[in-house]
Amino acid sequence: MEAYFAEVREALATQDGYRLAQTMTPVAPSDDPDRLHNFHRGCTAFDVQNTIRQAIIYDNEAHIPPSEGSGFVDVYVAYWKVLGVILAAEETTNGGEQADWVNVYNCWKELASIVNRHFDNAIFTAWSLPCLYVAGKYLRSYAILADEVAAKGNIKFNYGLSDDVVDGMAKHDYLEDASRKLTDFYKTCAGDRGPLDDESRKWGIYYIVNLQFKTYFKLDSINLSKSVLRSLQALRQDVPDLSLFPLSQFVTFKYYEGVIAFVDEDYKKAEECLNEAWNYCHKGATKNRELILIYLIPCRMITSNVLPTKALLSASPNLGSLFEPLVTAVKRGDLAGFDAALEAGENAFVKRRIYLTLERGRDICMRNVFRKVYLAGEPVPSPEDQTVSMRPSRIPIANLVAALNLVSRHNEVFDSEDVECFAANMIYKGFMKGYISHEHQIVVLSRTEAFPGTGI
Amino acid sequence: MSASAQGSVVTTKATTNDTSDAQPPHPPTKTPLGEDDEFEDFPAQDWTQEDSELPSGNQHLWEESWDDDNTSDDFGKLLKEEMKKVGKDK
Repeated sequence: MEAYFAEVREALATQDGYRLAQTMTPVAPSDDPDRLHNFHRGCTAFDVQNTIRQAIIYDNEAHIPPSEGSGFVDVYVAYWKVLGVILAAEETTNGGEQADWVNVYNCWKELASIVNRHFDNAIFTAWSLPCLYVAGKYLRSYAILADEVAAKGNIKFNYGLSDDVVDGMAKHDYLEDASRKLTDFYKTCAGDRGPLDDESRKWGIYYIVNLQFKTYFKLDSINLSKSVLRSLQALRQDVPDLSLFPLSQFVTFKYYEGVIAFVDEDYKKAEECLNEAWNYCHKGATKNRELILIYLIPCRMITSNVLPTKALLSASPNLGSLFEPLVTAVKRGDLAGFDAALEAGENAFVKRRIYLTLERGRDICMRNVFRKVYLAGEPVPSPEDQTVSMRPSRIPIANLVAALNLVSRHNEVFDSEDVECFAANMIYKGFMKGYISHEHQIVVLSRTEAFPGTGI
Repeated sequence: MSASAQGSVVTTKATTNDTSDAQPPHPPTKTPLGEDDEFEDFPAQDWTQEDSELPSGNQHLWEESWDDDNTSDDFGKLLKEEMKKVGKDK
């Protein structure tokens, strides 16, 4: 235990926020796996206050201000208390029983409130902000576990009651409670009226905002995420520029900002944000890279009509199985394959909110069919210059009908009216240049750039 | 039954958390794919541009959305035959 207090004092003396925060996580460091147990066993409920006061204030080599010192005494006493509950819960879980994570949540919330209050009263200063991060991060984790416990309890309790519709829905009372607490954290950071220097609590804002995004996404409430974004936007003049924050916070923020824009169908903005997240993401963070690409791929398909290469899809097995069939079908102009791939992936696509965006790839797929029909035409001499041969720019609608029926599903049969409609759509959306002659049943393509951006 | 499943969830959480706010970077912990689509905490707070680049570089990751103009593939042949048929029918 002496080693533990030595670590705390050292972190306080050197004002190393991340190091200090490590001494108040509910996870023991890998080089000292028994630390939590030792610290908890080293005190009793009667002497914990004095022991910690002795360790932090009386052995004060750090010369920390008295108010800050007693602030940390409060925090470590609360930490000691919650550790007892956490260690018991973990033991119960390891024994195969249902642990009381609700109690853990409530105790951790007390700790979180104390940390937040001391920041709000300016007793703690910016260097120790990582303590606020740890408080918020585990508040969220324990809320999720508490909700799981509550959900199980509800089923048992309400068994046989008629309102089973309500029972069937996942309730997130604890996570919602945690999200309100995180809003307090946000206000604590945003509310610093002091100058915007190294001492400002505003340096904590992006970590907390990221936690809020994470929480609201879990709660399936994009709207609340948007209101956080708006509030942050209003503060922009008074918050340090995002580029000055650690990359972990920068990339996380850009990811969520990008996904929010994506859901709003602002694909240009989404692409910008996701590209930045992609470019700065840590190369070892495979899962995060995959998540960024899950949105960046549909995004770029819409904005620039480009597709991921095999090399990009091979970045993770998940990505390959998610997108490869769809990408192959689009490139080939294989409409049946496209529909099948969309259908096969439907659940996964809907869950990630990319289904509707991917569906728009069908236009590109159809463009490729029309393009192939054009390319299949035997070159004929140009009317202006007989020595130059060129592909016929007049395409009989019957050819397009035949081609589409060739590549679409067997139960789907198109006639010339359908195809005229598709062609009009292609022209309207800029995938094809030309006009339709309904009277002659032909599509007359532009002699230059009939299919803009595709080299012909 | 569910209790052991619960246990594994907790263990995953604990290990994931372990890598979070640590200053010396730990290798990122893997969560089972598809289990939860949550953006994970990074193994480090900050890193250099060097750590942001994939070994293969960021080149050749995107390609055009149509196949190479290769009308000799199966589909191209099929299409040409189909076009001929349509021509004859007229």
